Amino acid sequence: MGKVIVVTSGKGGVGKTTSTANLGTALALLDKTVVVVDADVGLRNLDIVMGLESRIVYTSMDVIEKQCELSKALVRDRRVDGLMLLAASQKNNKDDIQPEQMKAICDKLRTTHDFVLIDSPAGIERGFSNASAGADEAIVVTTPDVSAIRDADRIIGLLQNARIEPINLVINRFSPQLVGNGSMMDQADVLDILNIDLIGIVPEDSEVITSTNRGIPLVYEDASAGAQAYMRIARRLTGQRIPIPDFEQKGLLNNIMNWFKKKK
Amino acid sequence: MSISIKQLFGRKPKSSSIAKQRLKLVITQDRLDVDDRVMTRLHHELAEVLAKYFEFSANSVKMNLKQEGNSYILVADFPYTKFHDLNVRQ
Ligand SMILES: Nc1ncnc2c1ncn2[C@@H]1O[C@H](COP(=O)(O)OP(=O)(O)O)[C@@H](O)[C@H]1O
Ligand SMILES: [Mg+2]
Repeated sequence: MGKVIVVTSGKGGVGKTTSTANLGTALALLDKTVVVVDADVGLRNLDIVMGLESRIVYTSMDVIEKQCELSKALVRDRRVDGLMLLAASQKNNKDDIQPEQMKAICDKLRTTHDFVLIDSPAGIERGFSNASAGADEAIVVTTPDVSAIRDADRIIGLLQNARIEPINLVINRFSPQLVGNGSMMDQADVLDILNIDLIGIVPEDSEVITSTNRGIPLVYEDASAGAQAYMRIARRLTGQRIPIPDFEQKGLLNNIMNWFKKKK
Repeated sequence: MSISIKQLFGRKPKSSSIAKQRLKLVITQDRLDVDDRVMTRLHHELAEVLAKYFEFSANSVKMNLKQEGNSYILVADFPYTKFHDLNVRQ
C-alpha cells in the first residue's frame, strides 16, 4: 500500500508545484513508483512545470465523469521509470469535484504505487478539502516570510483537524545570505512559531526558474543546491535518516560582506 | 552600567527578530479566533440537541475549554429549568 501525501500551503506562490514536481521525480529516481496528481482544478500547472503539457489527453475530471479509466488518464513520464502524472481539468472549477471523488482516486492509486503526491491549490477553501481528502500525510511548504508563515499556521490547524499525520514542513526559498544579515528568519525561528517537524530546507536557487522554463525538473541535474535539497527530502520520505545541513554556515563570508555593505 | 554593542553602534534591531515577534503574537490571536468560532458553533449545536430534552435559558449557558497537562477538558454548564417529558410529547 502506497502513501498519499498532500503538498499544500496557505499562501500561493510559495513552491507547492515546484516541490511536487521535484519530489515526485526524485522519488522515481530512487526507484519508487509515483503518481503526481494536480489538484489545482481550473489553474493547472503541474503538467507544464514537469514538461508534460503536450501529452495530456485525459484529466481527473474525465475519470470522475467515467469518460475514461483511471489507468488510461495517467501520463507516463518517459524520462524516468515509475513516474506518472494525473492532470487536472483546466475548463472546470474546484466546485465541480467532491472531496469523496478525489479520495476515491487516491485510494485506487495507492494500491498500485508507492507514493501519491497531490499538488494542492493555495487557500483554505474547497480546493484544499479536495486536495487533502484522500491524504494520509501532508507536506506544508512555506517561505520564511510573515504572510506565508501565518497562512501556513492556518493550514496546519486544518490538517490537524482532519487528522492528517504526520505534517512535515518544507522551508522554501531560504537565503543563507539574508539570514546572515538578519533580514530573514532562520529555521529555528520558523519552527519555533509553527511547531511541526521540518523535513527539509530548499534554498533560493535561480536554477529552479530555468528548469521550470525548460520543463525539466531540477533533480535530473543534481549539481544545483536546490536539486540536492529536493533529493535529500525525497530520501527522508522513503525513511532514510539524512541530517538537514546547516545552510547558515555557508553564509559566514556573506555576513562579513554584508556588514561592510551596511556600513557604507 | 552596561552598554550593549548594539547600542554602541546605534544599530536597529534585526528585522527578522521583529518579524518573529510580530508573527508569534498574531498567530496566537489567529488560533484563539479559530477556537472561538468552533466553540460558538459547538455551543449552538449542543444547545439544539439539549433543547429537545431540557428547558434552559440561553444566557445561563457556560462553555469552557480547560487545559490540564497535555489534555483539554471541555466543561459545559447548561443549568436547566425543566426536563421535557418526551413520552407525553410523542
Ligand atoms: N527555491 C526556489 N528558488 C527560486 N525560485 C523558486 C523556488 N521555489 C519556487 N520558485 C519560483 O516561485 C514561483 C512559484 O512557485 P510554484 O511552485 O508555482 O508555487 P505554488 O505552486 O505554491 O503556487 C515559480 O516561479 C517558481 O519558479
Ligand atoms: Mg501551484
